[in-house]
Amino acid sequence: MTATTNTAVSAGNTPPAPRSTAGAAPTRRRGQQSTGQRMLPYLLLAPAVLGILALLGWPVLSVLLTSVRKLDLGELMRGQVVWVGFDNYVEIISDPGFWEITLRTLLFTAGCVASIVLGGLLVALLMRHVPPAVRVLLQLSLVLAWAMPNLAATTTFQWIFDPNFGILNKTLVLFGFDGFAGYSWFTSGLSTLTVIVVVVAWQGIPFTAFTMYAGLLAVPGDLYEAAGIDGANSWQSFRAVTWPALRPILTVCTFLSILWDFKLFTQVWAMRQGGPDGGSTTLSVLQYLNGISAKHFGLAAAVSVLMIVVLFVLTAQYIRLLVRSREVDL
Amino acid sequence: MRAKKTVVSVVGVVVALLFLFPTYWMISTAFKPTGQIITSSYDLVPLGLTLQHFVDAITKPNFLTNVGNSLVVTLGAVAFSLVAGLLAAVPLARLRFRGRKGFLLLVLVAQMAPLEALLIPMYLMMRDLGLLNQLPSLLLVYFAATLPFTAWTLRGFVAGIPVDLEEAAMVDGCGRWAAFRRVTLPLLGPGLVATSVFGFITAWNEFIYAFVFMRDQDNYTLPVWLASFSDQFGTDWGGTMAASTLFTLPVLAFFLIVQRNLVGGVAAGAVKG
Repeated sequence: MTATTNTAVSAGNTPPAPRSTAGAAPTRRRGQQSTGQRMLPYLLLAPAVLGILALLGWPVLSVLLTSVRKLDLGELMRGQVVWVGFDNYVEIISDPGFWEITLRTLLFTAGCVASIVLGGLLVALLMRHVPPAVRVLLQLSLVLAWAMPNLAATTTFQWIFDPNFGILNKTLVLFGFDGFAGYSWFTSGLSTLTVIVVVVAWQGIPFTAFTMYAGLLAVPGDLYEAAGIDGANSWQSFRAVTWPALRPILTVCTFLSILWDFKLFTQVWAMRQGGPDGGSTTLSVLQYLNGISAKHFGLAAAVSVLMIVVLFVLTAQYIRLLVRSREVDL
Repeated sequence: MRAKKTVVSVVGVVVALLFLFPTYWMISTAFKPTGQIITSSYDLVPLGLTLQHFVDAITKPNFLTNVGNSLVVTLGAVAFSLVAGLLAAVPLARLRFRGRKGFLLLVLVAQMAPLEALLIPMYLMMRDLGLLNQLPSLLLVYFAATLPFTAWTLRGFVAGIPVDLEEAAMVDGCGRWAAFRRVTLPLLGPGLVATSVFGFITAWNEFIYAFVFMRDQDNYTLPVWLASFSDQFGTDWGGTMAASTLFTLPVLAFFLIVQRNLVGGVAAGAVKG
């Protein structure tokens, strides 16, 4: 898997001498290229860079500015700019409801990440050890789970968890758990979020499993042989050979999973719109409710900024990790 | 030893079935007559077959318009980000110039941009531009969402093509552009397919922006259509599952096409295990 970027250093190769400068003296070398030649990289980069700056850079700046403004429907309609300093932040962090939602979001993220990373690891190890026919079946079903759009997956799980006719309750009753006849999984926030974690894990495990499986395949077989000759049992060779090879991949998967699940909206919203009674509202749902629904854009922007700060710190760590481990050549 | 192998195989099959089940359940429910869906009997295998739910879903008002909308914003965003991404990928992979590292870092950071947390400023920006409830607003957001990944991944693919090939073509008398068009571009084919499929899937599945930006039903994209479908027809699980199946099919087809590139492609750009 590392093959693709190991070749990326070819950027250092000398570009072929420009043909267009036909009139130039033969002694002319690189560094003395024509202006057009020197501008070429920037011209080629321009559309992408402008797109990124206008459509991602500006919103980041704008959310910071909005978060220190009072911007409700009235101000928005009148085009009024009212600076309020850190009032929005004060209002948000002095609301106990906000801390409850933050804690819930963190626990939800932890639940998602733990189940995705552990599940992915177990499935990857399983893939390594099953016979080829079973492996093909396993990979096919993982790809199918991975491919399903978030929204379709959430809808399908709503149907599976349906109180009266859902297949899960029917199955539980079949196995003798009669209490689950007509049992509703969506009466408490905790249970609703648990169902959402199940959806997220079901969709997230395939990516992690495939990534770790690729990492497992990259471990040279000799190492296992050597461990075997040294008398290691399977647990010991896992500890000494597999684990060191997997750990960097595990870290990357954990980071990505945190970054993705912390800001998750679609599944949380589609499952119960943050209900029952706000019980499954996470930070991304809160910013939607504050901003788009209640039209307190300044307040919502402050929530967004707090989320972005957390994500930014994590992303910076993640990119440092990538650069340092030479996974990415800059 | 043999017993252990059997146990592992059985576990493997059980896990595979668990992962397979929701997809199977979605599709099989979509084909079941309503009487067999809303029932207390236990049937994992459909006993009857009907296309009624698909007919219901397709003939719901706006379905075809919404499919069209989804196609317009998705394909438009993918086309734009392919062009801009390829243009950026070539200098990032091939040329030496001042600020190269900075641009690379910009693309890398942009790839991690938390779109869900930029909902408020995006909404305000589209409102200022007068684009709310208009398809171009989504096209722009999806372009921004797919562009960094596209540029980053294509850069990997361009870098993977030996520069000697281009030089050979130039020795044979090709101009720089001709060398690129005749040698590099054809070799980039698989890379272009893989990245555009990923872009397609990202944009096709996107829900939150479509849900927030689009007010009129005839401007909805398919995810919003599906969400409103299950809201309005909450207990019509047959219809809802048929709608989900229709929504999933294109993604599934694309996933199976690029299956081989899945791990390599994602890893080349995003993860690099």
